[in-house]
Amino acid sequence: MSQNKTAGAVAKRHMGLKTSRRIGNTAIYILLIAMSVIWLVPFICILLQSFRVESTWQVGYVVPQKWGLDNYQNLFKTDFPRWYTNTFIAALCTAVLQTVIVLCMSYTLSRFRFKMRQPLMRFMLILGMFPGMLTMIILYRVLKDLGMTQANAVPGLILVYVASSGMGYYVSKGFFDTIPKSLDEAARVDGATRLQVLYKIILPLSKPIVIYTILTAFMGPWGDFVFARYISFGASAGKNVAVGLYDWLSKDQINKSYTMFCAGGVLVAIPVTILFMCLQKYYVEGVTGGAVKG
Amino acid sequence: MKKLLALVLSLSMLLSVCSFASADSLAGEYDIKIWVANEIVDLTKQQVEDFNNTNELGIKFNATIEAVGEGDAATQMVTDVEAGGDIFCFAQDQFSRLTEAGALAKLGAGAAKNVTESTDADAVAAVTTGDGTLWAYPLTADNGYFMYYDKSVIPEEDIDSMEKLIADCEAAGKNFAFEMNTSAWYLASFFFGTGCVSEWQTDDEGNFTSVHDTFNSDKGLIAAKGMQKLVTSPIHVSSSEASALANGAAIVVTGTWASSAIKEMLGDNMGVADLPSFEVDGQEYHLGSFFGFKLMGVKPQVDPAKAAVLHRLAQYLTGAKCSLERHAAVGWGPANLEAQADESVANDPILKAVYEQKKYGQVQNAIHGSWWDIAKVIGDEVKAATDEAGLKQALQNYEDKMASLFKLDANALLFVGAWNGWNNADDTDTYYLKDGVLTLDVPESDYMGGRIVKPGDWGTDKGFAQVVSGAEYIKDLGADNPDNNIVFAEAGNYTITLNGSEITIVKN
Repeated sequence: MSQNKTAGAVAKRHMGLKTSRRIGNTAIYILLIAMSVIWLVPFICILLQSFRVESTWQVGYVVPQKWGLDNYQNLFKTDFPRWYTNTFIAALCTAVLQTVIVLCMSYTLSRFRFKMRQPLMRFMLILGMFPGMLTMIILYRVLKDLGMTQANAVPGLILVYVASSGMGYYVSKGFFDTIPKSLDEAARVDGATRLQVLYKIILPLSKPIVIYTILTAFMGPWGDFVFARYISFGASAGKNVAVGLYDWLSKDQINKSYTMFCAGGVLVAIPVTILFMCLQKYYVEGVTGGAVKG
Repeated sequence: MKKLLALVLSLSMLLSVCSFASADSLAGEYDIKIWVANEIVDLTKQQVEDFNNTNELGIKFNATIEAVGEGDAATQMVTDVEAGGDIFCFAQDQFSRLTEAGALAKLGAGAAKNVTESTDADAVAAVTTGDGTLWAYPLTADNGYFMYYDKSVIPEEDIDSMEKLIADCEAAGKNFAFEMNTSAWYLASFFFGTGCVSEWQTDDEGNFTSVHDTFNSDKGLIAAKGMQKLVTSPIHVSSSEASALANGAAIVVTGTWASSAIKEMLGDNMGVADLPSFEVDGQEYHLGSFFGFKLMGVKPQVDPAKAAVLHRLAQYLTGAKCSLERHAAVGWGPANLEAQADESVANDPILKAVYEQKKYGQVQNAIHGSWWDIAKVIGDEVKAATDEAGLKQALQNYEDKMASLFKLDANALLFVGAWNGWNNADDTDTYYLKDGVLTLDVPESDYMGGRIVKPGDWGTDKGFAQVVSGAEYIKDLGADNPDNNIVFAEAGNYTITLNGSEITIVKN
């Protein structure tokens, strides 16, 4: 009898736990769903607007009345392909160059012990604290003297994006520090050079951080607006997508170009989305992996 | 040797002047950059081509034409004048910024005469500075706002009365879009309607010297009351976008740039009219507006021949033929008188509304850049006001802000001296005599002197000779003081009071 009672009480308590967990989960899921809706609504709106063909201005509804690809076709009658190419070249070059520089830098600072290593790291830390915008005007002047502004803005922009990338070594150096040094030593004993150690031992072990570096290096130029606008001013041939698209929102163009602007926005998002989807796994590892040791 | 060099130099100068003067030498190829609005890029390309083919001087332009909107042109030019367009179009309100930045080349006497004779007089006034110099070529005379309405909602007999329009909209559950809360440009409409003014004076270089502003007055109060009727109505939306019509508005106040979109939205139901009147205390006031021009400027050039040909091209592009072509292609209202008189322009219903509203409009001359931000808050403050005192307060706030910003007013005097590094163009508020009083800290230095001047001027307005009280605090340097400076004997905190031409000094 008493046993039954206890069993009943346990069952009851068990039920209580289950229900309360269910309630908790439901609440969390509702919150998460609400948040993801809030996050996704702008993107979905832009996507839907880009397929709207019955009018080209802003309207008060989201779902198009007439669907079509006109906006995408019209994009190719403008300078948009040029802007897209500019952005892509700038982002790709920056991604390659910056990754090489950052990884070499991190490897050096992680594995080599040389005079002034600590002061150098500290110096770069302080230098990195100055906002990049401060240098904008002087950089413009320098680039102008080199002939890398306006229509020739792309090489100028690459130069600027890559120039200070050596200072962004923190995360990957932190990651390299977690790889046991004895691996390097073993390879060195077997006759590997320093460079061979880097690309045969360290890099295969640090896939996440390499991918993280590539991604961040690619994203910077891809979304840059302020600097690109300043460097490429007044010359359509030198603009990147962000700057070019922005001009379509001026008061005399918005009524004609709004849906096209949305289509442009979608095309801009595609490569980045694909990149992230493929590399997402490594990205998270990279961000957190580098944080283990500073 | 020096003489020889001077001779050679002056000869070469003479030669260059000769070559500049003779038209034949203008022949040649010129690489130029032209900045125009996106929608007329192709047309302008064609027009430059036409100029190349028809001019008798053998001038040939290799023009790169870039789309730079008129609203943005000044910002872009000022970024780097050297790299900017040789010819560029801009809205009139940027005129002062561009002259200040030295981005505009003066028109020569011939061009100036030509423009004065062939162009809308208001437009000419808009490009002329104090000393009668012309700085740009008027391109269009249509940069103002008026009313678009949906004929299916608004009966035509109601379009002259703001109260009736509001009632119609309320009855139909439609909105009345007039950008009152975020734009001084539109909001000034009510003030100009009751006869208020805000006029800025500039010197020859385009610097602001003073402002005559009557927004905070009885007339301004009437305007605020009228505005309150609109902004407190539930059907008012603060927008000047064509898209407001697609989002439930029956009326939108905006300009010619929205016409093609609105035509598509409303079709045959599109109505266009000048702004309505509003009624306060039994009196009708027709809403005013800003009216502006789009201008074409030529950038100062190093090469005089290039400058000369650019001015010719600018004259051609703003002439009757090109203006009519632009009207036909994109509907822009020309500033050129011959083009204005042309049938196609005179019968254009949208331009009719533009010109009808222009009668009540204020030509938008040079306006200090800060004014837009100071004035635009009136809309929100009027909306928030619950009684007449609230409205008065809104206007008073406006005046206070104006007063604190513009010490440029001729009455404001600056006590320049050792304490501000003898900076007679001091922008900080610290050393101006407000209502004739100034309290300042005199720091210890070798020469603790200064004098009262008009900002930007070195001539002594008031100084040692005018001190009637407090002479014990200052040194009498006698003949050693040709500039009439007030030189303090010791550092400290002083209050200077200027009453008429008498200075009182008190040590605190």
